[in-house]
Amino acid sequence: MASIAVPRPKGYQRPVILDWLMTVDHKKLGILYLYTTMFFFGVGGVLALLVRTQLAVADNSFVGNDAYNQIFTMHASAMLFLFIIPVWAGFGNYIVPLQIGAMDMAFPRINALSFWLVPPAGILMFSGFLVDGGAAAAGWTAYSPLARGAGTGLDLWIIAVILLGISSTIGAANFMVTMFRMRAPGMTMFRMPIFCWTMMVTAVLQLLATPVLASALAMLYIDRNFGGAFFDPNGGGNAILWQNIFWFYSHPAVYIMILPGMGIISEVLPVFSRKPLFGYKAFVFATMGIGGLGFSVWAHHMFTTGAVLKPWFGFMTFMIGVPTGVKMFNWLGTIWRGSITFETPMLMALGFLSMFLIGGINGTFSAAVPVDFALHDTYFVVAHIHYVLFGGAVFAVFAGLYYWFPKIWGRRLNERLGQLHFGLMFIGFNLAFFPMHLLGLDGMPRRIATYADEAGWETLNLLSTMGAFLIGVSMLPFIAAVIIAFLKPKDQPNDPWQANTLEWWTTSPPPVHNFDDLPEVHSERPLFDHRHGGAAHH
Amino acid sequence: MPSSGMPRQLRRAVLLLSFALLALASVSLAAAQAGTPNPITEEGEKIGELWVFTLIIAGIVFFAVEGALIYAIIRYRKKNDELPKQTHGSTIIEFIWTGIPVLIVIALFTYSIIVLRDIENEADPQDLTINVRGFQFSWQFEYALNDLGTNNDPAAEGAITIIGNAAQEPELVIPVGEPVEFALASSDVIHAFYVRDFLYKLDVVPGRDNRFVITANETGEFFGQCAELCGLDHALMRFRLRVVERDEFDAWVAENAPAPEEEAVANAD
Ligand code: HEM
Ligand SMILES: [Cu+2]
Ligand SMILES: [Cu+2]
Repeated sequence: MASIAVPRPKGYQRPVILDWLMTVDHKKLGILYLYTTMFFFGVGGVLALLVRTQLAVADNSFVGNDAYNQIFTMHASAMLFLFIIPVWAGFGNYIVPLQIGAMDMAFPRINALSFWLVPPAGILMFSGFLVDGGAAAAGWTAYSPLARGAGTGLDLWIIAVILLGISSTIGAANFMVTMFRMRAPGMTMFRMPIFCWTMMVTAVLQLLATPVLASALAMLYIDRNFGGAFFDPNGGGNAILWQNIFWFYSHPAVYIMILPGMGIISEVLPVFSRKPLFGYKAFVFATMGIGGLGFSVWAHHMFTTGAVLKPWFGFMTFMIGVPTGVKMFNWLGTIWRGSITFETPMLMALGFLSMFLIGGINGTFSAAVPVDFALHDTYFVVAHIHYVLFGGAVFAVFAGLYYWFPKIWGRRLNERLGQLHFGLMFIGFNLAFFPMHLLGLDGMPRRIATYADEAGWETLNLLSTMGAFLIGVSMLPFIAAVIIAFLKPKDQPNDPWQANTLEWWTTSPPPVHNFDDLPEVHSERPLFDHRHGGAAHH
Repeated sequence: MPSSGMPRQLRRAVLLLSFALLALASVSLAAAQAGTPNPITEEGEKIGELWVFTLIIAGIVFFAVEGALIYAIIRYRKKNDELPKQTHGSTIIEFIWTGIPVLIVIALFTYSIIVLRDIENEADPQDLTINVRGFQFSWQFEYALNDLGTNNDPAAEGAITIIGNAAQEPELVIPVGEPVEFALASSDVIHAFYVRDFLYKLDVVPGRDNRFVITANETGEFFGQCAELCGLDHALMRFRLRVVERDEFDAWVAENAPAPEEEAVANAD
């Protein structure tokens, strides 16, 4: 049969910049999310180094009390609201549709809106540094009545956090619909990759908790600007009310910040141990359990207010240790009797296991209510926060970056630089944060701009500051690896790691429509099944 | 794949990780020693015992899990291209390792609730009560002269009031060996009354009557500090604490109490 070649009209090509600004492609939005959040990780890191410089020696006046309060508040706000929460949306955006074999997210335009709320919110929050009275300085927790009286920077902060809340709420709905409705044929819920499951539970938490935060912030805004008295005891309000509402959001938010990281670890460990995740279903149920229990422990942040039912919240907090322990054992069971190799993603994942364990253990001390009376609001808690959020979440972020870099950018990050990055970061991290346990026990409260020489906290603080700068240095090999990779052509095969999940079925990077075809899905490891001839043995 | 290069890399990674963990382990042992608090109250001692108990359990879990991790990393590193056995899980094992944490947390919870009940005492009416007021950015300590504990004179009038400021730390003086009640009030925002050597802190909340009782069992000079961010000079909201024998306390009271005639004079103008 003869055919005539009709010249097709060339598709309209937008200029590159416009293309990135107007894209609704989940992969491009994912990349935009990753760039933006890693930028704020850098900004938050610089602020952290300022904090550590101020605290390096006793009676320091490198930055004054006023500036210090702004800096540590913005450090935490940037790290939490502009880095760690949205960075998971970045990974989720790029990876979830690929892992379930979908073409895109369920609502691509809403997806674009979710992302485009983040940069303006970041700018708004940081513009506080330009206004009278400076940036927000009441801590990321904005406790009232203190936060009722602070300067304009706090109003900007409130609006920024509300915008970010809207972003993550609509993003959550999008992820849920995507995973419920758009899975590849054969992929039942219990064959969904574990990273997707953690994104699912995270989305549920965001949907339930974030509106509560938004209402608290709205009340605070009313208190500050329209003469409200929700949190003012002199006007008939209640100072403790803020904490109850805030932590009702913010404890689940702790899991919003860590569950997707656990998901990434649960993808990486099986691939580099060449075994399936040990106890897939138990892991899913443990994730749900953590999510559910997460709503019943908020007042463990409030034991020293004297205004909460201490035994109940102590008990529920202890109980959360159980599903967390189950996960730890599942991960150990995964590498046990495996055939382990130590590419950088795996190093980061093992770093996560060893450090997140400490973050879990040192949290237990605060669940024992009387011990919390001693530790609450001291540097012991700062140590705990960072063993969870840095030792846990940040190691997971880097595990994910090294792992999916070949998929997203078509190149592999240099192994040697990766090892150097890991080694320096691991040592720097422990040097920076382990001494904080001792400082806390020794009575150093958190959020203090300076301390007296006679308190005897200088040596450990100096050590901690050195560790912080070592963490800073450890980012150099990472940055170098990224630059070197970008200078090289794309050369990665579909599946450079011999991995398990569908994103490795398609090209690296994937085409706009993601897949030309899909393998059959009979288990949570379709690619493994394909490599080893069918899934008969599941 | 350069098969000669790989094992060296593996060994280096393993070495690095196990070395770091070993260092961490020994540091944490040293830390457990150095960090064990040294409480100066009866209540604090009970908290300290709970702390030690928790630390022991935490230590066991830490070494067991990190040990298993390091063992697995060394023992199960890739040696050949054979695919390891594809175990997907084991219901029995999973039941066991759900059960173990349950037992641990029930033990910890029970002990912590016993301690909680032991330390949260109500003051007897005849106990010394100190009215503590937190304000931006210092403390006020007030002793009512008719409420001075074991050596009390119910007919006495007036009060000793000590007020500090951010540049001048106020001093709190309490007698050893008898219950002392602290009644906390705030003039503005939330503060927290914290003495490291009590192993205790309690928030100072505007609009809320928070109080606690301790019995000091050691004399000496100590520090206290606000532990809840309260604004600009939060870091300077420090105070000194002196725990003294009862007769020394009485002498301190006598020295600092406003003389009745002085007060009359003060009231006159
Ligand atoms: C270079 C790495 C980092 C260093 C050196 C560092 C240092 C610090 C220090 C010293 C504080 C205590 C400030 C104070 O209480 O006065 C702090 C607080 C905090 N940091 Fe970091 N940090 C780092 C990374 C992170 C990351 C990655 C996160 C989260 C993802 C994070 C989240 C927080 C939070 C939530 C607080 C609590 C702030 C508050 O009390 O309001 N930090 N950080
Ligand atoms: Cu919490
Ligand atoms: Cu304060």
